[in-house]
Amino acid sequence: MRVVIADDSVLLREGLARVLTEGGFEIVAQAADADELRQAVRRFKPDIAIVDVRMPPTHTDEGARAAVEIRAEQPEVAVLVLSQVVEAAHAMRLFSERPEGFGYLLKDRVLEIDDFLEAVRRVGRGGTAIDPEVIGQLVGRRREDSPLDELTPREREVLELMAQGLSNRGICEKLVVSPKTVETHVNSIFGKLGLMPTGDEHRRVLAVLAYLRS
Amino acid sequence: MRIILALLALAGVVVGVLAYRVQVDNLPEPLTTTTRAMATVVAAWSFLVAGLIAWLRRPDNRLGPLMVATCFALLARQFRYSHDPLAFTVFFLVGELGYVLYTHVALAYPSGRVIDRLERTFLVAAYTVSLAFPLAILLTYDATERLRYFDPFLRESLLLVTGSAELVRLLQDLYGGVAYGVLACVFVLLVVRRFVRATPRARRLLAPLLLAAVVAALWALLNGILTYAETPPDLTYDLFWWQIIGLTALPMALLAGLLRARLARVHVGELVVHLDQTSPGELRDELALALNDPTLEVAFWLPEQGGYVDAEGNSVPMPIDGPERAVTRIEHEGQALAVLVHDPTLRDEPKLVEAVAAAARLALVNARLHAEVRSQLEMVQESRARIVTAADEERRRIERDLHDGAQQRLVALALELRSAQRRLGEERDPEIDQLLESTADELQVALQELRELAQGIHPGILTQGGLAPALESLAARVPLPVSVAATQERLPPDVEATAYFVACEALTNVVKHSGATKASIRAMRDDGMLVVEVEDNGVGGASAGGGSGLRGLADRVEAHGGHFRVESSPGSGTRVLGEIPCAS
Repeated sequence: MRVVIADDSVLLREGLARVLTEGGFEIVAQAADADELRQAVRRFKPDIAIVDVRMPPTHTDEGARAAVEIRAEQPEVAVLVLSQVVEAAHAMRLFSERPEGFGYLLKDRVLEIDDFLEAVRRVGRGGTAIDPEVIGQLVGRRREDSPLDELTPREREVLELMAQGLSNRGICEKLVVSPKTVETHVNSIFGKLGLMPTGDEHRRVLAVLAYLRS
Repeated sequence: MRIILALLALAGVVVGVLAYRVQVDNLPEPLTTTTRAMATVVAAWSFLVAGLIAWLRRPDNRLGPLMVATCFALLARQFRYSHDPLAFTVFFLVGELGYVLYTHVALAYPSGRVIDRLERTFLVAAYTVSLAFPLAILLTYDATERLRYFDPFLRESLLLVTGSAELVRLLQDLYGGVAYGVLACVFVLLVVRRFVRATPRARRLLAPLLLAAVVAALWALLNGILTYAETPPDLTYDLFWWQIIGLTALPMALLAGLLRARLARVHVGELVVHLDQTSPGELRDELALALNDPTLEVAFWLPEQGGYVDAEGNSVPMPIDGPERAVTRIEHEGQALAVLVHDPTLRDEPKLVEAVAAAARLALVNARLHAEVRSQLEMVQESRARIVTAADEERRRIERDLHDGAQQRLVALALELRSAQRRLGEERDPEIDQLLESTADELQVALQELRELAQGIHPGILTQGGLAPALESLAARVPLPVSVAATQERLPPDVEATAYFVACEALTNVVKHSGATKASIRAMRDDGMLVVEVEDNGVGGASAGGGSGLRGLADRVEAHGGHFRVESSPGSGTRVLGEIPCAS
């Protein structure tokens, strides 16, 4: 899988490149700012671009803006956004109703190397990876009379993993349970929340996120 | 002085009576009647009365003497009708001076001086013409023909050199055209020119006077034209009364001007009474009324700032005395206090300005104090805004430095460790593995702490996403349902930061003290303002005073020129409202 990395810290860029290379990815370009990123993506057409939100010159959100542009102009390129701070609102704004090939993770997640490589792979294949903290914010938000309160702790866990973008198989591995059990949980959750069950994983992520946001 | 004036008055009366007799005795009807002879004398006396009053009240102004002289010149003109050769010769020679003096008075009003070069030139020409032509006529008048405006009886000129009836006729025609035609025209133009150039205050003073002058000059002009025409007697009579009105109107106008000055003194009296109830902001209006100058400006001298300020404390440029605006300095206990910047015509009424200044001195001291406080307040306000902005900027900078420096570096470092750990492979020493593991874990905890610290200093999301996502994120972290409605626009950083901290602090209070079960945040633009509103359904009773965080919020919002309000009656929840100006 071909990867472009954009981050203004050389140290981190190199570290990421090494970890990814060892994980079987091909690093086609490294970019130090948003302009270099745009050029690299146009030129190399990678499977995935890993982008730091804040980059020179203003260190505000040029990475995020570049990510949105890339997703609009080249939908076939997946984008994984890394940030020192993750915010549900920001995540929602970035993926704008299209969770396919989109990831939004706290920068620290790269330290859990296996999980990180898995997330890159998932997003690169057109899947979704939303940071657990974002999902935590959404699930933890207090509502009046929310059906979420009716979920069992296990179901809540499964819901959060679904929202992060994990497939049933991914959830099985994560929770070390059988596919059958996961399926039971998923059906129960959809029933309690009043959502329509769907086989399509993108639509499932979208439905769950939309529900959590509302 | 008074004796001289009394003697002049007496002389005027005597000469007037004589002038009346000369006319009645020497001019048969219809050239004159007793009424008309009386009218010419009364017209001259009106100059005497106005001139004496002006002289008495403004001894240093030449206008009084000029008008008295005009009176005598106008009366002297009548003596030329005498049949005595000496009287005829002398008074025929100076008989025209009265009209020139008339224009002199009009042009010298109100200062008594004629400064304008064009006006001076005109007067020199007029005096010359009015003496030269009668002289030339006297030199050539051989008493063979009747003189214009005279009775059929002939007079004897003592100055006769060579007689020529034709020349006399020519000279009389020419004089009528030049003096009454051309000079009158120029005079009207000069008068209109003065009026156009005058300041609004001067125009009001000049208006009646100039009207009189124009009436008189138009009479002269018509008279000049008629010199060349056979005039029906009726018209000459009408013109006579026109002339009398034009002549008398001038001293009347001047008297009106003097009366106005008296009225102004009444204003000063009223001013003294009013000043007790006058606020510093209205002082200027009161003074403008007393001085009859709507353009009046008052500037206060602030020695500590070394400059002038207006009543609101805004600094104003150093007032300069010039032709357009006059400046009167007012002192208090030997120190500069204030300046009045006013219409230059007030220079001619120094007593009035002095009286007004004296009456208003205490009020001016008071108003200066007021202006000084306002000025200082403004400076404090500005410096407060600068301090808050600088503090915000500093917080942003620290957050950014942490983010781009320490945080990035720690992540990179931890990644190196993790990667090293993996490379060791299967045959790694369990102790080293343990060490690497715990070091990386510690690093991760440090990172987490650093992130929270940076967030507390200045939320990164505010810089990255703006107010709406920052407020949504804020709402999500609070353990009660909070609805958020916020503008999606990006606003200036200090406005966003102020609004964010208002919402943040207000929400903290909601959680800590209100016992509310829900809350709402609104941050919308409204008419150049960003309005931030945090409402809850708790117990209420919060206040912006005291040592609460709300006081700090009020300071912050007000430092940006905004307003901050807390509405919180016990039992009905709390509403915190901040309005922050945002021009963009």
